[in-house]
Amino acid sequence: MEATSTPRVSGPFLDNYVGRNVMVVGKVVQLRGDQAIIDADGNVTAHLNRDAHLSVGNGAQLIGKVNPDLSIKVLSSLNLQQSVPVDFDLCRTVVELTQLPSVKGLFVNDASSGGGVYN
Amino acid sequence: MLAYGGGYQRTGYGAQGGDDGGGFMAGSQQGSQGGGGGGGSKSYGDESLRPVTIKQLADWTEPFPGADVTIDGAPLTQLTLVGQIRKINPQATNITYTLDDGTATIDVKKWVDAERSGDDDAGGQQQFTEDQYVRVWGRLKSFNQKKHVGAHFIRAIEDYNEVNYHLVEAAYVHLYITKGPPVPGQEGQQQQQQQKQQQQQAGGDSMFVDDGYGAGGGGGDEESQQAKLARASPAARKVFQYLNNTPGGNEGVNVHVIAQGTHMSTREVFTAADELNQSGLVYTTVDDETFAILEF
Repeated sequence: MEATSTPRVSGPFLDNYVGRNVMVVGKVVQLRGDQAIIDADGNVTAHLNRDAHLSVGNGAQLIGKVNPDLSIKVLSSLNLQQSVPVDFDLCRTVVELTQLPSVKGLFVNDASSGGGVYN
Repeated sequence: MLAYGGGYQRTGYGAQGGDDGGGFMAGSQQGSQGGGGGGGSKSYGDESLRPVTIKQLADWTEPFPGADVTIDGAPLTQLTLVGQIRKINPQATNITYTLDDGTATIDVKKWVDAERSGDDDAGGQQQFTEDQYVRVWGRLKSFNQKKHVGAHFIRAIEDYNEVNYHLVEAAYVHLYITKGPPVPGQEGQQQQQQQKQQQQQAGGDSMFVDDGYGAGGGGGDEESQQAKLARASPAARKVFQYLNNTPGGNEGVNVHVIAQGTHMSTREVFTAADELNQSGLVYTTVDDETFAILEF
């Protein structure tokens, strides 16, 4: 099985993850063709795939690869349409939490160690 | 009563060396009481429900076949996790879901209840779809080096905030187990407190309350002992607790006795006691192998 870890990141963390698959949760600000702008502690440009069904103003969870220009090539997207509003502050806090050294081992694979690939 | 006592003495038990045997029994009972708080032996007390990330499960490697699962040194029995379904693989006896929570993936097997699946729409087997978020309760199983979660129950997650909430909870429990419970009023002030402690130590007027652990009203001085303990490793805390609960601590307790009482190896006790010694929580008494709690 291939590496399936997709660390949760937000705008400010993207440059640490160029070339890796990540998960970004944020609010859809703009949709233009196959391009979307997501607010995840800063605007993130996403290049959507064909089966993306997002709508402006809703939350979205994007999984994709970080391009060198810090945009995201989306592999899978989830439209967070629900009765209870998504707490985007909480999303941001969780991203920051998962990057803390004391708990990082629970969430993020270090690129160097290469471990955590489940098989 | 008399008949019972007589019968007892005449059994083979007495013939095997009654006094020694009796002494051992008493000793081992006391020991298990002392170490009971820390766990280690199988008991229903360990059956707590623990929130985990999938990476924590994926990182665990079975030290030997049939070993008990431990994460962060604490036994893992019942667990709960959240994840997005990536793959559904229905089989005759179970449905295997591949779950992904962004940290790793793992297979979750839900056994099909043959009696319930008959009336499928009457709340029997719930149908899940790919990419849906679900919460799972179950146990980690290991089979031929391959891990999966045997699910007791799976339900859909309606509120995305529950996913974030679960991750925070998993982090909290990890910190609770590795660093101990949060010390009240400590958050954000740890540095200040450390400075205060150093000042206290320099001034030599530090006054620890005797039973710093349980006593409620100790104020700042009690906190400094607790703060030290909070930073100590779980093993060190266990040893400290054992010393605290053992009477006659003035002369100290030998490491071998501590090892027996806490169900730890002598080497582990030495390491833990050394740590406590260096942080000024215990001191050596009659020899280098005997420790007592440092009290003022």
